[in-house]
Order: sequence, then C-alpha cells, then structure tokens
Amino acid sequence: MDIFANLAHGFAVALSPINLLMCLIGALVGTLVGVLPGIGTIATVAMLLPITFGLPPVGALIMLAGIYYGAQYGGSTTSILVNIPGEATSVVTAIDGHQMAKQGRAGPALAIAAIGSFFAGCVATVLIAVLGAPLTKLALAFGPAEYFSLMVLGLIFAVVLAKGSVLKAIAMIVFGLLLSMVGSDIETGASRMAFNIPELADGLGFATVAMGVFGFAEIIRNLDAGAEMNRDLVQQKITGLMPTKKDLIDSTPAILRGTVLGSILGILPGGGAVIASFAAYTLEKKLAKNPSRFGRGAIEGVAAPESANNAAAQTSFIPLLTLGIPPNAVMALMVGAMTIHGIVPGPQVMQKQPDLVWGMIASMWIGNLMLIIINLPLVGIWVRLLRVPYRLMFPSIVIFCAIGIYSVNNAPVDVILAGVFGLVGYWLIKHDFEPAPLLLGMVLGPLMEENLRRALLISRGDWSVFLTRPLSAVLLAIAAFLLTLTLLPMLRAKRDEVFTESEN
Amino acid sequence: MAETMGHSATATRNTSVAIGFCLLAIAPQIFEFIWSIGTIFGWGAGRGPATVLISHATALFGGAPAVLIGAASGDTKKASSDVLLALIYSYPIFAVAILTFFMTIRSAQDYVGGIVLMALALFALWASSDLQGMRGFSFGAGTAPRMFGGLLVALGAGIALTGLLADGPAMAHYSWRGPMFVMASIVFFALAIRPLGVVVSAFASFLIAALGTHETRWVETIIVGACLTAGCALLFPYVLGLPMPMFPRFLVQ
Repeated sequence: MDIFANLAHGFAVALSPINLLMCLIGALVGTLVGVLPGIGTIATVAMLLPITFGLPPVGALIMLAGIYYGAQYGGSTTSILVNIPGEATSVVTAIDGHQMAKQGRAGPALAIAAIGSFFAGCVATVLIAVLGAPLTKLALAFGPAEYFSLMVLGLIFAVVLAKGSVLKAIAMIVFGLLLSMVGSDIETGASRMAFNIPELADGLGFATVAMGVFGFAEIIRNLDAGAEMNRDLVQQKITGLMPTKKDLIDSTPAILRGTVLGSILGILPGGGAVIASFAAYTLEKKLAKNPSRFGRGAIEGVAAPESANNAAAQTSFIPLLTLGIPPNAVMALMVGAMTIHGIVPGPQVMQKQPDLVWGMIASMWIGNLMLIIINLPLVGIWVRLLRVPYRLMFPSIVIFCAIGIYSVNNAPVDVILAGVFGLVGYWLIKHDFEPAPLLLGMVLGPLMEENLRRALLISRGDWSVFLTRPLSAVLLAIAAFLLTLTLLPMLRAKRDEVFTESEN
Repeated sequence: MAETMGHSATATRNTSVAIGFCLLAIAPQIFEFIWSIGTIFGWGAGRGPATVLISHATALFGGAPAVLIGAASGDTKKASSDVLLALIYSYPIFAVAILTFFMTIRSAQDYVGGIVLMALALFALWASSDLQGMRGFSFGAGTAPRMFGGLLVALGAGIALTGLLADGPAMAHYSWRGPMFVMASIVFFALAIRPLGVVVSAFASFLIAALGTHETRWVETIIVGACLTAGCALLFPYVLGLPMPMFPRFLVQ
C-alpha cells in the first residue's frame, strides 16, 4: 500500500531529533497559548512566523502545526478548571467541563478531554493520509473556473458559519478582498491603491494585518474591561485522573460523533475548529435522551466538542496541502510560512515535497502523543501560569508582537501598520463586525482575482463559463443553496439560537 | 414632556453623528494637510501645506461642481485627482451626513458601522480611479478593485439601512486609555528600533504600554520589563539569527 510506505517515510522524517524537538516546542507553545486567555492562535502563529526563517522548512511547519493543535488541548484545561476558555474553540467545553470540576470531577473531565482529543487527532491523521492522494488527483482536474467557484463556496461557508448578521459577514469578506488588492497588480504590475508609499508596493502583509486585528485589537479590547480579570481557580487538588467505567461508556459515542463532525467541518473551506466545537455540542444536546443534563456537568458535553475541535484543527490541513487553498486564517499563515521557504502550496506539493507533507502528517500523531503527556500529568504547572496577572502579560505581548512584525521585513512601517489595524480591529469589535471573515477574504483575494481573470481570458470574456463547466456549476450551486438556507428566516432563528446558547 | 425630551435627545445625537460624518467626508483632505506640514521641516515628500489647502478648497467648491455641470452638458474633460476625490468620496458622504439629520436612527451601532464601511469603499473607488479598466474582454488592473469597491458600497448602505429599520444596540462605549498607550508604545517602538536598538526601544515601549491600565504597579513592571527585554535581546538576534540593532547607534560608534 502506498499510504503505509508514505506514512513510514513520514515517520522517518518526523522522528529525526531536530523535528522531534520542533514538534515538542510547537506542542508546548500551543498549550501555553491555549491556556493563557487574551492571546490567540492566530496572533501566536503570526508572531512566530519570522522565527521560522532560520529553521529548515519541515521543522518550521511541524512547529507551527503543533501550535495550532496544541492550543486546542490547552484551551480545554482552563475551560474546565477556571471557566475561562483560553481559546474560542473551547468556549463550549467550559459549560459542562467547569460544572464537572465544581462537583469535584475535574480529573475525569480533563482525562476525557485529552482522550477525546487524542483519539480525534489519530483519526484525523489517518484521514489526511488517506484523502491526500485522491484529492490531489481531483485538484489536477481543476481549471481556473473551478478554483474560483471553490473559493466562492469557501467564502460563503465562512458567512454561513460566522455568527451574527449575514450582511455584516459578507461585508467583512468584501473588505478583506479589497485590502488584498493593495499593492502591485499581478498581471500588469500597475501600483494599486498604494499612494506611492514604497512599503505598500508589495501589498499589505497578511501577518501584519492578522497581528493587528487579532493581536493588538484583542489587547485593547481586554483593557476596556480592566486588566484584572476574574480568575477564581478551582482550588482543591485534582484527585484521581482516571474516569470511571460509566464515564467511558457515556463518552465513547460522543467522542466518535465529535470526531466525524469535526473532521468534516475541518475539511470544508471556511470552517474550522471553532465552528466544529459549537456544532458538536449542539448535536450532542439534540441527540441526548435527557438534554437537561447539559449545563450541569454532562461528560458528553466535554467529550464531543474537544474531539471535534481537535479533529477539525487537523483536517483543515487537507485543503491546504491538496488544493493549495487555506480554509481558515491559521492555514493562511501556514501558506505564509511555506512561501517564506519557497514552497508554493498546491497539488504539486505532495509530489515535489514528500518529506514536508508526510513528515508533517506523521508529526501530528507524535505531537498528539506528546500533548497527552504535557497536559495530563503536568496540568498543575499550566494552571499556575494563570496566576500571572494580565497587567504584566499585556505589555509583554505588545512588545513581542512588535519585535516579531519588525523582524519579518525589517520594516518599521509594518509595525505602525499593524498598530493601525489594531485600531481598525477594535472599531470592528465595537460595531459587532467579525474579523475572521475579513482575514479569509484577504487571503483568498489574490487567488480569486487571478483565477477569475484567467477563467475569463480563456473563455474570451464569457461569464457563463462558471455555469457551463460541470464541476464549477456544482460548486456554485452548493454555494447559492447554502446562502439561501441562511437567509431563510426560520433557519436564521435556529442558527442564532445555536450561537446564543453556546455563549452562555 | 417625556416625549419632547426623548425627541431632543435623539436630535442632539443625530447632530453629533451628522457632524462626525461631515468630518469623515473631508478626512483624507485633512490628513494630507497634516501630513504636508511635515514638508516644511523637510520630512517626507509631497505638496506643501499651502498648495494642499488651496487645491482641495478649489476642488471642493469650484472644480467638482464645474465638472458636474460639464458632464451634464456633455463635456467630458479629464478631472484632476483632487476633484475626483471631492466627487467620488466627499460629496456622497456629505449627502449622507445631510440625510442623517432627518433620520431616526434605531441602531447607531449598525448605522455608523455601515456608513463608515461605505466611506472606506468610496475611498477605495477613488484610489483605484486612475487604474485601467476593462480592455476588451480582459480585466485591467482597476477592474477587480472597482468591482469589490462597488459591492462594498452597496453592502455598507445595506447595513446602514438595517440600522434605520430595525432596533439594535446603540454605539458601544470606547475607552481612550488602553488604545492610546498601546498605540503610543507601538509607534514609539517603530520609530526607535532603527536608531536606538532593541534594548532601549523594547524596554521603553514596555513601560509605555504598561501605562494603558491604572492597575500597573511600577516596581514589578520594571523588573518584568527588564527581564523581557533581556530575553528578547538574546532570543531574536542570537538564538534566531535575525539581524537587528542591539544598542543605540551613538553608543556603538
């Protein structure tokens, strides 16, 4: 079997000492970020991009991947013990997880979260390995029209899955698309909206905008509420990590369902770990014989979202590695990391860089194993970290971000731009606009424009090409179907209900 | 009594929103004027403040109306960039500002958010107005920006409309302390990193950022700041091998 040979090759790459070290660093940093509220995965990956300059490409990507899925583990720890989700992905875990901790069952909750995550991680790893090759073949049948339609579908998914107003989410995507046009035009080289500022000639750096909108804006927003956040730790000692037999029986189907749901939502463009955990929790509640247990310490409410977010975090690598399309903002930063090392993401990566792809896949499994060890026995250390007050943490994050952005291009202007986007992000939060679709639009903008222009050039200006090519037509039809579904009032109400209940 | 009071309250709010939009309408002009003051001292390039003031004033009050009248009588002359800014950006926002006076705003959060997005899109339309459009059936450099700019104008207007039609939250409260000091810290770092090096600029920026909250205790802040600076000074240039100046230029020489 090809897959086994490939995986064996991957493990050979991933088990080299330097890559093992990178994997460990990634998992540790990821857990740290996951535990600390007020600093998210996107900002961290953006911050660490310049650090990967000096590393070999395989090691760099293994580390960045580790941060992403490591954060999903770390987030659950604080959700359960302190009722402060360190990551958006573990917001729903806090609902039942913290209740369990209050009932003195923090140990089993943590254990189930870790076991669920590990299981989901293993399944997702295999899924990437199995789906990688066939999807790459499919990608080769894609022309510019299909690529364009696929990206439209991805953006529509982002709209459907974003919370709040559909109109606002679409506006954010278009704003992101506009921002991506700043700089030189790909085909003619004409300078667009750059106002003769030399630093803008190359366009707005994606890392710069991400750091501003997700890093600085988040800090400014947190300062609004006062630096001293309420942190009532569950003080009692965590005794007995082992879940009981009943816990295991209760949570097994939840873990399975969470894994399946998370894997699917991860692959879809526009989806990702946050959506997956929300959806998994809602599904469990719908399926449960006695839904009133949820919110009062139901173990399924921990098992399902934690498995789902971890599965989604990993399967979102599939569109990136096979189609070269980043399905969410973190994957977009991975594109940045790949480009830094001269790798153009797309179907050809699988063939040209087998070390990179299979090494990364294998490292995910190893990383998941490490994370179990990092998280379960060492949980006390992570909880102690929460005692670091925010008044000391936020200036540190500001400085670290500033140095990080400066070192990407050695350009002071980038630092100021990130600051400006921090204010933009703060304004967006105040007006209830979600920044995630903006970033997705900004990432997909150049790709979309290029494929749109190419498709129209090939068809000699005939717009019907998007409907006459069958694959493209199907993708657009799905997109249109999804958009109408979201706009239908009955479903809108349902969708709002899902989000409000998960925010409690 | 209660009714009139309620009425006057929305009226004052509307006025301030409308005045805000008027300022927004000439924000690029004001920005260029402030920027141009620097040219007196030899910083940056561009037009001097007097030229900026005169050309924008003539564009707003003379050039743009002239072009409008010219267009009505079928005379298509190429307008200057300042006139286009007035036509594409300032006039529509002024129009919105005037309309705002007569509207009942039911959700200020949505209404203001939508209008500002619209303004951004109009500005983008102006910024890409010098680019080439469609050439036959192939896209020019300006086609896509104009397409998305137009789309964003429509979406912004739509969001503003929901703010008029449906009840929703009012403007959120903005605080000034956090944003100001965090921004000051970032700008200081950007300006200081080249001449002063990592050690000085990182430590100073840390202290400036710490001003962002009144809960800062200075002894621990200085200790943590010093440790962080030392850590960064070792991590970035030495461990990661990223080239950046360590100490102030005048000390090294």
